[in-house]
This record gives sequence, C-alpha cells and structure tokens, in this order.
Amino acid sequence: MPEVKKWAIDVRMSFEKTGMAKFISHLDTVRCITRAMKRANVPIWFTEGFNPHAFLTFAMPLSLGFESLCETVDFRLMEEVDLNELAKKINDALPVDITVKEIYVYETSPNYIRWAEYKIIFNNPDSLLLDKAHSVLSADEIIVLKKAKQGRKKVDKEVNIKEHIKSFELNEEDGKLILQTVLSSGTSININPMLLIGALVKDTATDEQDVDIIKVQSYTEDMKVFR
Amino acid sequence: MVKKEVEKLLKKVQKPARYTGGELNSVVKNKDDVKLRYAFCFPDSYEIGMSHLGMKILYSVVNERKDAWCERVFAPWEDMEKFMRENDVKLYALESGDSLDEFDLIGFSLQYELCYSNVLNMLDLGGLPVLKKDRTSLTPIVIAGGPCACNAEPMVDFVDIFLPGEGEEVTNDIIDLLIKHKELGSTKLEFLKEAAQIQGVYVPEFYDVKYNEDGTIKSIENTENAPQKVTKRIVSDLDKAHYPKNFVVPFIDVVQDRTVGEVFRGCTRGCRFCQACYITRPIREKSPETINEQCRSISSATGYDGISLCSLSTSDYTKIEQLIPMLFDWALKENINVSLPSLRVDNFSDELMEELKKVRRSGLTFAPEAGTQRLRDAINKNVTEEEVLRTALKAFDGGWTSVKLYFMMGLPTETLDDIKGIADLAQKVVDTFYRNPNREKGKGVQVSVSCASFVPKPFTPFQWEPQDTPESLNEKQKHLLSSTTSRKITISYHQSETSVLEGVFARGDRRLGEVIYKAWQKGCKFDAWDEFFDFSKWTEAFNECGLTTDFYANRRREYDEILPWDVMDYGIRKEFLIEENKKAHMSVTTPQCRIKCAACGANKLNGGKCDARS
Repeated sequence: MPEVKKWAIDVRMSFEKTGMAKFISHLDTVRCITRAMKRANVPIWFTEGFNPHAFLTFAMPLSLGFESLCETVDFRLMEEVDLNELAKKINDALPVDITVKEIYVYETSPNYIRWAEYKIIFNNPDSLLLDKAHSVLSADEIIVLKKAKQGRKKVDKEVNIKEHIKSFELNEEDGKLILQTVLSSGTSININPMLLIGALVKDTATDEQDVDIIKVQSYTEDMKVFR
Repeated sequence: MVKKEVEKLLKKVQKPARYTGGELNSVVKNKDDVKLRYAFCFPDSYEIGMSHLGMKILYSVVNERKDAWCERVFAPWEDMEKFMRENDVKLYALESGDSLDEFDLIGFSLQYELCYSNVLNMLDLGGLPVLKKDRTSLTPIVIAGGPCACNAEPMVDFVDIFLPGEGEEVTNDIIDLLIKHKELGSTKLEFLKEAAQIQGVYVPEFYDVKYNEDGTIKSIENTENAPQKVTKRIVSDLDKAHYPKNFVVPFIDVVQDRTVGEVFRGCTRGCRFCQACYITRPIREKSPETINEQCRSISSATGYDGISLCSLSTSDYTKIEQLIPMLFDWALKENINVSLPSLRVDNFSDELMEELKKVRRSGLTFAPEAGTQRLRDAINKNVTEEEVLRTALKAFDGGWTSVKLYFMMGLPTETLDDIKGIADLAQKVVDTFYRNPNREKGKGVQVSVSCASFVPKPFTPFQWEPQDTPESLNEKQKHLLSSTTSRKITISYHQSETSVLEGVFARGDRRLGEVIYKAWQKGCKFDAWDEFFDFSKWTEAFNECGLTTDFYANRRREYDEILPWDVMDYGIRKEFLIEENKKAHMSVTTPQCRIKCAACGANKLNGGKCDARS
C-alpha cells in the first residue's frame, strides 16, 4: 500500500527561562515543556514505536542555575495552526518563569551554533576583581582546570581557553561587576562560563556562587544570530 | 516566592527545584485576603511528599475556600538544612516563602512511624518550639493526621490536635473554629476545649494516662468534657466528596508523578496483618463515571501521560470492568498510559488481561505474603498456591516475563518451614514459566522476591502479638537465602532495626515522647532512609529514658490490657479483633466481606452502610 503522506511542518519555539526557572535542570525542562504541549493540545508529532512519545529537539542544554533569553526547541506540527496563537496557548500552559517568545519556521539546524553570549553579574565583587579580570582576560593564555575523562577515570585537565573567548567587556554598575562575553558553544566544543568565572575569582575574596549568569544569544560561525 | 537570601543557598544544593515552589497549579493567594494560613507539612523529602494523594486532596479542599490559604512544606534534605541553619534561614512554605512561624495552622501528615523525628526537626527549623507546652499563644496550632494518628500517643508532646480518620471534612471544621477564635481573641485552651467537641478531634492534653508498676497502662481518663473515646471521621459518599480538579505538577521527578484516580476506600479482604484494611473501613466505592471524570480533568490540567488507579486492592472494585474501557476510550487516543497497581491474583480475569495488553506492560506483582498454606490461612490471606501459579501462567501467556512476589517475615506462628515455603513458591513460579509452551521466546524469567519484616499494628487482629526479634529475623533471612537455589530468583529484604523502631512507635505510649525528643536532639532525622538511620542514637535515647524497645515491641499483650490506642474508636469492635486473633492461632480463615460479613463493626460509622454488603 502506498504511504499516505500527512501534512506536516517543522517549527522552532524560542523561549526564555528566567527567575526561579533557572533551578529547573535540563531534563526537567524537557519534561515540563512536553507536558505544557500536552495541556495546550499541540498537534505535535509522536514517535511511532511501542511507547509513543512527543518528539522534541532542544538546541543546547542549559546548565542548572543559568538563566537564558535564547532557548529553542524544535518539533513537528501535524496540523495547520496559527503559530502566534499556538505560542500564546503554550505560554499559558507553562509555569511563570518559562516564557514563549515566538514560534516560527526555521532554516538553521542547531548544529550550526558556534558561539554563545553570556552576561555574567558578580553581585558582590572583591575590590580587586575588576583589575584581576582585566589582566586575566588580556593575557596570552588562560589556563583553567576542566573536568575530563581518561578512559573511565575522571581527571582534571589543564586547558587554555583563550581561543574560545571571542570577545569580552567589563563594566561596573551599582557596586556590581558585569562581564559580557562571547564563548565557544556547540556540540564539538563548549565552554561553560563557570570555568572562566573560576579563573577570574581565583585568589580574590569573591564568592563564585554569588554570580548571576544569563545566556543572552547564540551565534553561528560567522557571528550571525542563531534563530 | 523564594526570598533573595534563600536563592543564594539554592545555587549550592542538590536538586534546587525542590525548594523553589512556582510549580504549575500551585496556588498563590494574597495573604491579606485570607483569614487563616495553613501550612501543610509532609515530614519527608519533596519527592516523597509530592507523591502523596492525601496532601493533594487536602491542599485543594483548603484552597477552595476564599478565607484560607494552604501552602506546602517538606523536610529539606541534609545539604539544604545545613545551609539554612548556617545562614539563619527558617523553614518556609513553597508558595509564599514565608516561614512556618507565620502560619496559623500547621498540619503534619503522619504516614509512617519513622517520620516522627522529622516532625520535630521541621518545627524547629521553622522557628517554633518543638514541645507543645512551649507554644502558648492561640496560633500556630499544630495538628496531625494520617494512618499513624490511630495511635498518636508517642507524639502527644509535640502536636496539639490529632485528626483520626479522613481529613476532607474535619479540616474545614478546624479551620472554621480557629478563624472564629482568632476573631474572638481567645486563648489556646478555649480553642482546644471547643475543638475537642468536634467528632474526630483528639486533644491529647485532655486525657490523663496513669501507668501500672510494670509499665502497662492503668487508666485513661478524659477531662475538660472531652469525649471518652474519639470516633474517627469518614466521608460518607465518595461521589460527593471533594476531589482535586488538578494536581501541582513538580519540576523534578517525584516518586508518583501522574494522575491518580482514587477508586474506593476500605478493603474487603481482612488480611490479619494489614492495618490499612481495618482503619479505612467501611467500604465506600466511587462510581466509574466519577472516577473517569476526575481522571480526565486532572490529566488535562496537568499534561500527565499516565494514570494510576489507587486504592487498597484495585481489582476488588466491583465496577472495574466498566471503568477500564471508559478510561481507555480517551486515554489511549491521547497517548496516556493507564496502570493498575495492587491487582490480586484471584480475580484477574481474561478480559482485564486483554485490556491491559493494550498499554505498556510493567512488571506484574503478586503478594502471597507467606510461603505455606498453613501460614496464609493464619494471616487470612485467602490465596492458594494454585491460584498464584494459575495467574502467573496467564501472565506468562500474555507475554510477561518478570514477576515480583511480596512476602512477609516474622509473622505470628511462623516457623522455618514457612520460610522455606517462600523459596519453594518462587521456584514453582520459575518452573511454571519454563513449562509453558506459549512463553515469550528467547527470554528468561525473572522472579523478584521481596521480604518485608512484619510489624504488629493497632486495630488489627495481631495488635496483641509480640514482634519478631532482629536476631530471629536475621536467622530467617539466612535460611531463605540458603533455601533459594535458582539464579532466576532474586531476594531482597529490609534492615530489621528500622522495623524495631517502627514497631515500638506503632504500639507505643506517651512515655516515648521523651525518647523521640532526646533522639532528635542527638541528630536523628529521616529515619526511614538507610543512609540516615542510626539505631545506636535511638538506643542511647531509650537508655537515658529508662525504657526498652522489648517492652513495646516484643511482649505479648493480654486481651484485657488497656492499650494506648483504646482512646480511639475506629468502628472496629475489639471483640471482633480478639475473635480473629484466636482464629489466626488455629489457622482458621475468615471469608472476605463480600462473601460473608464478618461484623467488624465499622459500618456504624456510616449509618450502618457498607458497600461490601450492598
């Protein structure tokens, strides 16, 4: 029998994950959004195995504790619906701190993500931190300890992350120190901002936990905004 | 909303989403718009507490009122507690972020005895005196309910009021009364005196307990006009009882994270070891239409992809054959999985099996509870070996390849032969699989035997029985292991010291309050968790108070001894329990309620009605 081709369209939903939602882990976010889709009756494509489940593709997992203004999830719609209305419906079915921005037909696959921009706010910086940060970021190499695996053993490896820092900008505001920086991101190499923060606060009295981290934007290789 | 100083701590702890609140369907009100604030406390971790149906029901009951706001509080995990104490952050409710000492009413759900130390720890973390005598103002009032409220005596030093039975109605009565007394500006005593007049309200300070020299109870005297016996509350008609239209949906994975449809209350089986059976009687069933509607509402409000039917013995529900197709009709279309826990081996019909095949199959669980027919008769588990094997065969035909068997150890009248019987029965299930020509090809069978240690509980026919000692249980566990020969069978059992403590509290008296207080001061908490349980601290506490665990756990009680829980009336007649106890020692069974009413007496709570007799 010839296969009946069903109407379908692949779309991307961009959303923000802010406030207390930063404490929802990646896996829990996936489940949370899956349920919201169900509550909103989104005509989403389900896998066709014995145990059907909604098929969702998230671009990059966000670390626990980070906020983000640029999360995306891709899925397939099996019925024609108004995308703006759909965005509103899903938003209503989500908890307060996860907010849908837009649903649209996309062109770029998440594999093309190469850079990510972060806004890092040191809430209680040591008075030395600004100078320290400047000298670290301007040095020829920035050596950090990265957790790696050697066979099955977990080891700390020294890595130079200098080439993975595309740009940075430091500003002081109301006693806080704000670092805006673009770091390598993507499936092949991904620099967690905590690594950089660790290098900056080292030998200062700044608490590395008392830092707010916001992922602002993702970019492709040629620094075009990923959307 | 979580406060800023707490947010800093959350960056350092495991699973911070336990402490943030803000889950979908959680109820946030303006505190200035309500007359009473109720903190519903579950004395265990978030994951356990958020799985509990009773909490969801009562949360919804209170929040339906305009004049009250119910919030949730859980016991923080060790790492969070440490940071809270270091930074002077008090235990707070998830909805408002306000600390426990800002609430009018604080309710604890006592689901198991080993959570008692957590109750103390939570009160203390919340900024409140742990001992009730040190909380002298009208509010907060500390109340507690749940199955353990049937013998609340070990906790009377810490809790002002116990609510035996079902909470849907009495919670509202207590709230109404406390609002009234807040407006009147009454004293705590004035409030308690009036509360004691409500059916199902136990105010322990109005009862004087005197002891004999041997430590047994000499007398229990009621004072301040409190009733001589406190009769538990029940909801008469489950179709009319309040049931939530939605559940709070947790962010993190909790134990039971799906729609729960409650099917009926009570149990008709009368297994003599089972407290749940007796303390939840009389039988009241919900109509299939109500259950279907409730499941549908919760599923659409939560987005859950699974439904569990829940009651003590779901397949005993008389209208299960009507209910299942009703649920499947919409659930399957919406990719929602329906699971039925606690199926019994003896009424597993072919039709039910066919329906079950439509959904993802999980493991199959049987609870023969004892290894030999003699002992099964003694505990009134009316299941025969033949029935177990026949059902297993049916399941293997249907494609199942793993079976879980639940047993108990340390049952009254048990011998080593009965223990060997456990291994023998498991082996016969394995043999049944391999003798079955229709079995799933290319797969082996896996039989998991899980052995719990029996703990005698109040309001059961075994309430007078001595509990088996840890030494004897260890010997039996070894015997079971050596009797098991097949590698298809895996055996697991419990640590026996936790059962000792459980047994002591289950049938304990008021003198144990001091022990619990001392043990908590020594750092005991989360006693139900192996990684926290420290029996040596408990032993120290018992020694310091001059009490022994033997007295409470391992002593045979006489039928005419005054029991600490004699102050409670759960409908069940004591003469009935004595009769059942005698029959157990003669290995004589009692037919289940639908075959012949055994006149347990619980129907008096519902105007003589019991759905097992209709």
